[in-house]
Amino acid sequence: MAIREGEVQEFTLEQLKHLVSERALRGETVLLNVGPQHPSTHGVLRLLVELDGETIVSVVPDIGYLHTGIEKHCESKTYTKIIPLTDRIDYLSPMSNNLAYVMAVEKLMGVEVPLRAQYIRVILTELQRIASHLVWLGTHALDIAAMSVFLYCFRERELILDIFEMVSGQRMMVSYFRVGGLWRDVPEGFEEAVRAFLKLMPARINEYERLLKRNPLWLQRTKGVGVISPEDAIAWGVTGPSLRGSGVNYDVRKAQPYSSYDHFEFDVPLGENGDVYDRFMVRIEEMRQSLRIIDQALRRLPRGPYITPDRKVTPPPKEELAWSMEALIHHFKFWTEGFSPPPGEVYHAVESPRGEFGVYINSDGSPRPRRVHFRAPSFVNLQALPIMAKGGLVADLVAIIGSIDIVLGEIDR
Amino acid sequence: MAPFLVEAAIKSLILVLLLLTGFAYLTLAERKLIADFQARIGPNRAGPYGLLQPLADAVKLFFKEDFIPEYADRVLFVLAPLITLIPTLLIFAVIPFGPELTLFGYRTRLQLTDVHVGVLYIVAVTSISVYGITLAGWASNNKYALLGGIRASAQMISYELAMGLAIVSVVLTTGTLQVSGIVEAQRNGWLIFLQPVAAVIFFITGLAEIKRAPFDLVEAEQELTAGYLTEYSSMKFALFFMSEYVKMIGFGALMTTFFLGGYLGPFVDLYPGLGVVYFTLKVGFLIFVLIWLRATLPRIRYDQLMSLGWKVLLPLSLANVMGTAVVVALTA
Amino acid sequence: MTLIQAVFVLFAILTLGAGLFTVLSRHLFHAVLYLILSLVGVAGLFVLLEAEFLAGVQVLIYIGAISILIIFAVMLTRGMARNPGPPLNNQSLAAAVIAGLFFVLLAPVIAGFPWPQATQGVPADAIEALGRSLVDPNQFALPFELASVMILAALIGAIFIAREKR
Repeated sequence: MAIREGEVQEFTLEQLKHLVSERALRGETVLLNVGPQHPSTHGVLRLLVELDGETIVSVVPDIGYLHTGIEKHCESKTYTKIIPLTDRIDYLSPMSNNLAYVMAVEKLMGVEVPLRAQYIRVILTELQRIASHLVWLGTHALDIAAMSVFLYCFRERELILDIFEMVSGQRMMVSYFRVGGLWRDVPEGFEEAVRAFLKLMPARINEYERLLKRNPLWLQRTKGVGVISPEDAIAWGVTGPSLRGSGVNYDVRKAQPYSSYDHFEFDVPLGENGDVYDRFMVRIEEMRQSLRIIDQALRRLPRGPYITPDRKVTPPPKEELAWSMEALIHHFKFWTEGFSPPPGEVYHAVESPRGEFGVYINSDGSPRPRRVHFRAPSFVNLQALPIMAKGGLVADLVAIIGSIDIVLGEIDR
Repeated sequence: MAPFLVEAAIKSLILVLLLLTGFAYLTLAERKLIADFQARIGPNRAGPYGLLQPLADAVKLFFKEDFIPEYADRVLFVLAPLITLIPTLLIFAVIPFGPELTLFGYRTRLQLTDVHVGVLYIVAVTSISVYGITLAGWASNNKYALLGGIRASAQMISYELAMGLAIVSVVLTTGTLQVSGIVEAQRNGWLIFLQPVAAVIFFITGLAEIKRAPFDLVEAEQELTAGYLTEYSSMKFALFFMSEYVKMIGFGALMTTFFLGGYLGPFVDLYPGLGVVYFTLKVGFLIFVLIWLRATLPRIRYDQLMSLGWKVLLPLSLANVMGTAVVVALTA
Repeated sequence: MTLIQAVFVLFAILTLGAGLFTVLSRHLFHAVLYLILSLVGVAGLFVLLEAEFLAGVQVLIYIGAISILIIFAVMLTRGMARNPGPPLNNQSLAAAVIAGLFFVLLAPVIAGFPWPQATQGVPADAIEALGRSLVDPNQFALPFELASVMILAALIGAIFIAREKR
């Protein structure tokens, strides 16, 4: 059924009955409403769960409780002013969102980014991946009731947030990347802070792994639970660690290298069985690989400009305004009107902590985009939840939601 | 008859008062300890070191709205917290806290009553302690609560037998059903050394019976929001909370009595008062272990809980009882 | 009336009253709860007779195990518990009459039966005596074992019936 603009599609109860089994309508199974306010749905996700005893017959995810209208909002902002909006899509990995968006605009306009900016972008997005995986590990462990891990993970995440605050002035909503480079160069002490983190972190990751991997209860709760086959995962468009847990080798950083990821050596960890345990191990290993990438990038961090000198997309340096009329005009034009990419459309994807995060921009040549769409990995990955959860128990459902690592801000946008 | 009644009344009063303060400070101890395990500070605002925190909690709970859902089974909904609390308090009636001693010129035993079938009494009372939770789950008329209630009864059925059999091996070894007799029989060595398998089984099944982590499926906040507690608020909630912590103390007391020599320890015959100290220390250690486990272990799953109970613990405890019987028969 | 008698009457009323409500309550779940109350009354009677062991076993097995199983079953069959039918059907009058007649017939027999009276009180080591009598071949070893075998057979049969057919 095609929906025209401005038309609201309404469903009757009859049209929705196919979502649950016949037995639910006869009262043989129980329909349990999980969420939107529930401790383990990682936000305002609502699930309609059909239970036979404690066995899950079907799961119907219901989303839209966190709709923020970011995509529509983008249409009324200039290209630069959209960057802060992207922070708020996947609020656990703003750096990755920033990166995907600015790279899409750069691709649209053909802007060259200085190597230093590229490397710093890599360092920060990899730090972001670790921070995001730490939140995931903590909450995932908490869902299975290993509650101490949660606080250990947040302790280390704090260090990363401190680094973010150092470079951007913000701990979470960083908005640090700009079209053509960065907001400003990294401050003094940045390299030392990252080095200190690199030194500390491997032991801590080993500690988390030991806490959980050697725990028979943890293994019982995760091994063989929430299995999704590689075929199903591909068919549902699952990406990121959830896909790699099923053994499919697809990582945007390797498949379509961006921001000089091809300069660095790293492995893509893969699972075998596609269960909760494999997804857990993939993410743990990914944290180690991220450390490897950061280490290489930091060691080879080149000197040079942090943003492109192209005045089309970059405001002129402040001191130039005092003596250059041209710079003043550029400054004025840039901050009031913004810049206008050529008409056309572009898609650019990065490997966010949750999977392939893509940005689609449709430009009509004006300073504001005609349409912006974000391919949110959480949204796509969540679709695989019913397949993974079917036949499991209520307790498994919680573990599986945790293992997909969804962020509701990204799902509803 | 009269002095006996007066004595019993005084003892019960002291016991209940001790348990209630013990419960209040146990909540604080648990929060502090878990905070330490998790590299946090824990409650430190109410009074020095947060010592007034239990008081603050109590005041808060008193002033909360006492809510009864519209479609709840009102009578059962109100009764359930009481039915949960009473058996947990009843357990303490037969637990000896110390040896016989002379207080104010009056020879008495630090035990409320020393029934002949004390062990049977304990097993019987623990077997009915699950009713409160099951009723709460039913009466709330809430699907989460009902799932919690079903889990509670299933868990009880699965672990009751193994626990009973572990206690049977204790009874076989000591040759008495009297609780004080079991303690006295451990003068030559704690039963945990004589009956290590029974001790382990009792520990695990005991955890399951009092629904502590990792067997806290009944309230599993990550799965069932709060299980049977979902609809409870104010003082009714406080009663459940209280019984949960009193159960922890009760579990510690039973484990101590059955396997750790109860109040026995060095010089306890010279200074009988020491018995209480030993008893408290042993119970305190066991409670520490319970808190430690809660901070460390993930929760077991419903079906895994069942298979652990039926396929591992029950056969193991049966074999242990048989083995004990053979040894007892041969040595008698 | 002595204290003991008063307590006896109390427990008797509890047992019988709860039994009546078990039959009459509309709600299956409530019926089970009344049944439990009735069993508590019986346990109280055992205590009154200084049969603490039996009282303990009564609570442990009937209240702690069997009733909880019944409650478990009721909770799982939600439909049955949600729509309580009328507790009485059209045979209730006939049943009441027959039960009444039966009582009239039995009451004089029970009252007139020369029940043997124990000369001495309950021995202190009653539990040991009870245990011995159950394993003594000259006393109750055979009936005890027979009962055990029967229960085992029932258990196996139950498992066989309940097993899912493939």
